Amino acid sequence: MRKNLLIMLILVFSIAISLFGVNYGGTLNYAIATEPVGLDPNLVTAFASFRILENVYDTLLKYDESMNIVPALAESYEIVDPTTIVFTIREGVKFHDGTTLTVEDVAFTFERILDEDYGSPAASNFAEVEYIKTFDGNKIEFKLKIPMMNALLPNFTSGNTAIVSEKFVTGGANMQLETNGTGPFYISDYKAGNYIELKKNEDYYEDGLPYLDGVKFHIIPEEISRVSAIRNGDIDLASLDEPTSVGQLANNYKVFKQPVLNYYLLGINTAAKPLDNAKVRQAISYALNRENIIKMVAFGEGTVTGPMNPTVTAWAIPPEEFAIYDNNIEKAKELLTEAGYPNGIEFSITCSAKYSFDKIAQVIQAQLAPAGIKVNIDLVEWGIFIDKWKKVDFDSFVSLNGGSVEPDRQFYRTFYSSGSTNKFNFNNEKADELLDAGRETVEYEQRKEIYNEFQELIVEESPIIFLYCSNNIYAGQKSVEGFKTMSNGSLTFLREVWLNK
Amino acid sequence: MNKEFKKLKRKFTQNPLNIICSIIFIFFLLVAFLPSVFAPYDPIAMDPDAFMSGPSAQHWFGTDQFGRDILSRIIYGVQGSLYIASMAIVFASIAGTIIGSVSGYFGGVVDNIIMRFIDAMFAFPSIILALFIIALFGATVQNLIIAIGIIYIPIFSRTIRGSAISVKQNLYVTASRSLGKSSSRIILTDIIPNISSIFIVSFTTNFSTAILSEASLGFLGLGVPPPYPTLGSMVGEGNNFLLSAPWITLFPGMIIAVIVLSINIVGDGLRDTLDPKN
Amino acid sequence: MKLAYIIGRLISAIPTIIILTLFVFIAIHLVPGDVIDIMLGTQNFLSEEQMQDLYIKYGLDKPVAVQYLVWLKNLVTLDLGTSIRTGEEVSSLIAQKFPVTFELAMLSIIFSVIIGIPFGIISAVKKNTKTDYSIRFLGLIGLSAPVFWIGSLLIVFISSVFVNYTLFGFVPFIQEPLKNLQIMLIPAITLGLMIAAQIMRMSRNSMLDVLSQEYIRVAYAKGVNKRKIIMKHALRNALIPVITVTGIQLGYLIGGTIIIEKMFALPGIGRLLLQAVNQRDYPVVQGIVTFIGIMIILINILVDILYSVIDPRIELN
Repeated sequence: MRKNLLIMLILVFSIAISLFGVNYGGTLNYAIATEPVGLDPNLVTAFASFRILENVYDTLLKYDESMNIVPALAESYEIVDPTTIVFTIREGVKFHDGTTLTVEDVAFTFERILDEDYGSPAASNFAEVEYIKTFDGNKIEFKLKIPMMNALLPNFTSGNTAIVSEKFVTGGANMQLETNGTGPFYISDYKAGNYIELKKNEDYYEDGLPYLDGVKFHIIPEEISRVSAIRNGDIDLASLDEPTSVGQLANNYKVFKQPVLNYYLLGINTAAKPLDNAKVRQAISYALNRENIIKMVAFGEGTVTGPMNPTVTAWAIPPEEFAIYDNNIEKAKELLTEAGYPNGIEFSITCSAKYSFDKIAQVIQAQLAPAGIKVNIDLVEWGIFIDKWKKVDFDSFVSLNGGSVEPDRQFYRTFYSSGSTNKFNFNNEKADELLDAGRETVEYEQRKEIYNEFQELIVEESPIIFLYCSNNIYAGQKSVEGFKTMSNGSLTFLREVWLNK
Repeated sequence: MNKEFKKLKRKFTQNPLNIICSIIFIFFLLVAFLPSVFAPYDPIAMDPDAFMSGPSAQHWFGTDQFGRDILSRIIYGVQGSLYIASMAIVFASIAGTIIGSVSGYFGGVVDNIIMRFIDAMFAFPSIILALFIIALFGATVQNLIIAIGIIYIPIFSRTIRGSAISVKQNLYVTASRSLGKSSSRIILTDIIPNISSIFIVSFTTNFSTAILSEASLGFLGLGVPPPYPTLGSMVGEGNNFLLSAPWITLFPGMIIAVIVLSINIVGDGLRDTLDPKN
Repeated sequence: MKLAYIIGRLISAIPTIIILTLFVFIAIHLVPGDVIDIMLGTQNFLSEEQMQDLYIKYGLDKPVAVQYLVWLKNLVTLDLGTSIRTGEEVSSLIAQKFPVTFELAMLSIIFSVIIGIPFGIISAVKKNTKTDYSIRFLGLIGLSAPVFWIGSLLIVFISSVFVNYTLFGFVPFIQEPLKNLQIMLIPAITLGLMIAAQIMRMSRNSMLDVLSQEYIRVAYAKGVNKRKIIMKHALRNALIPVITVTGIQLGYLIGGTIIIEKMFALPGIGRLLLQAVNQRDYPVVQGIVTFIGIMIILINILVDILYSVIDPRIELN
């Protein structure tokens, strides 16, 4: 009797495993459009770089699939008080070169980030750090000058704070070209312009992961080639840019659509006439029809956004609640007249032929015309576009900004008068006040009030006109299982992908 | 003079193909001069409801992703392309003729140095040259004209130089010389008029290739900035939708082919007519 | 005598190459925006000082003239510098990608010659007949239609009719020869058609020229077999202009490969060049353009030499 029960149990268990179990092994062929620009995690800014590095390096904390912050290299953390946080670093984690991760590496990484001469993009996020202290063998304490711990916490999930090996860096490695991380994969081969080959890290600290033996990122800039490669089975999973491609991958493939936090915007130089008058900027917003922009540029794959992405329900004021989001040409003309321009205005939009910026500019041009607003499109090379952006050499521009679930990360560096990405000549005392207050306040309800006021203000002033957030689209073979998409566009869940072949 | 012209005209019109293509070309010229007469819609007007639709009664050539009428855009594109190409060739032919005549007539060191530069330009694939100039100065109509024009200077220079050399040998230049005319006068009054037939043929042949050059640049994304259409940029933009909305690419491309073909046939006809060999 | 000629030509090519590189170098440096900017993207938070450090790191701080001379010096030792974007040696990048372009060019030329020469000869032999006219008309279409349009047509056609034909996804010949040829077939045909038209026209013209020559008529009158005449005399002389055209067509061929490589996503030097220009990766652009320039010049010399082989009547001055 007992023996039969045991056999039945084993049988049920095996069936369960085969139904719900994963296959180990295999290489996932992933097609990406853009290749990374540099591999130093603390230094890179390109989205394309992060997609690779987030599989090769780890951060102290990470997001789970619902965008909750969970431990990663830090096995736990404690917010002792609003100016102090202590991380306990996991023991026994190994870098790809075999050396063990210690708390010294964590301290080293953050000192590197904070080093002015080094120039990490994350530096301004950690500007309020007073000191970093390691103790008790595997603990590290961050002390802040102001009580912004809640605002700071998400920064520890940022790819720019990935932990690097002190020995490796001080040993003279060229971090832009060589990698040595703790992540589920390591880079085994990189042929520029061709592919990046990742292989499984057998000593990865998360037990059982990754399932795959490796991931090969094929760099295929042409959309048509990526689609073709999926159809003939050369590629298992790909990022797609054009929603129309989905039509060619009808039934035999998996398609994933993921709304993301990155948002398209029309950034305005608020010192350039006639855009220096807030009424003019509001008029522009009234004249726009954001839904149509989404329809024609993104083929409907997107959502209108306010200052915060509407899916971030904890903080966002829904865009419908803003009056200037109504498509109202008459109102636009009224505002222009009030501002002193009854016969309309003229200005230029600087853009580049990337990420659909130029397409958005064309639609804006067509939409503003009936309101008497003449738009000239200044289409320039990517390098020139960046140059102009840096020097604030534009009337306005179309671009894509990284979004966040944390309002401080979303707003501070963009709208603070001395913010590092404030390219709008936007100096508003009240805005600065609110941003500082939001950073220092700890209580959620109080912060919510502050950021509500901030959102109203920023829409009223409109130094940037928020447009929409698009959907990321991925497609793959039916055999690809376990792929989860994230609203920050991250591919970290490749470690949980397995092939059902 | 008139009798000569009539004889040439008869020879040209002997071939029915020449006549047909001349008519086609003149038609396109008309379109280029008066696009608003032919175009049913405003080429940059967007219609979100007509987004990416195929050929239909309302839109003979379909619409693009912004709901713009492809036929109207092609018509304005013809204007853009023909304007740029013709201006570029005018620029190139004038510059090339001057350089070639001077080089051919003077010979010697001057000729050598000039030809060195011309050779260097020949070695340079034209697209790359144009790529630079546009990247340097930006993609405006003026710059496109200059960039494409520069590509064709070497060809004109060489052709004209060749003729200038052979004409130079011609007795009557030696006669003029002995009459005491200055070098520049000789170039102007004796050499240049005599190479006019070569010039006309060169002009036509290179005009059609210039249209192709402009189209190629447009295809690579280096053409006139949006939203004003040129035939090349329309093909380039439409390439992303080649399999889902092929009309966006294929119609503009077809029109380019037709225009260039008709110019080439006319050019061939002109060459056959004007060529002393036949 | 021939050797002296070859050496002479090679030496005279050097000033041309220098003019070329100088022009390229100046052109790139005049453009606003640079590699560092692109590396950092729009999310660039560095201060002026930090940017300066990066410039020094990549040697971009030295005056332009010095940068050029340094580059020139390296060129002599075949060191074309390193890509600022990826850190790879330019010469190694070219070595990787050139085979693809070379294969494309070779296949295109082969295809164009197979189509072009026979049709040109037939057209000449049957001058002014319907066959002649039809062939010439087709040739004109080949010359007139933009190469990217023909490519698009072929892509649409093949995808609709041969639904399972793999059009994209290049693999090197060494790895999978059959798949490689399958991928290269359509691009080669596209490019080949453009050149075939030129070759056809050329071979027709030179064939006509030769056929009207005295010595052919004499041979004909003597009763020599018509076909033999064509084969032996005419063909040989007809080849000369064809070789000339191939030489001239080289620049056009390379321009064409840039377009074809972009359309069909082939990882050749054409595509690399386009990307490098967009990214202001100076060393790569300079290296590729110099490489192409030198290649064209060398091939032209080769063409001249081939002339002398085929027609000993031509003198080598």
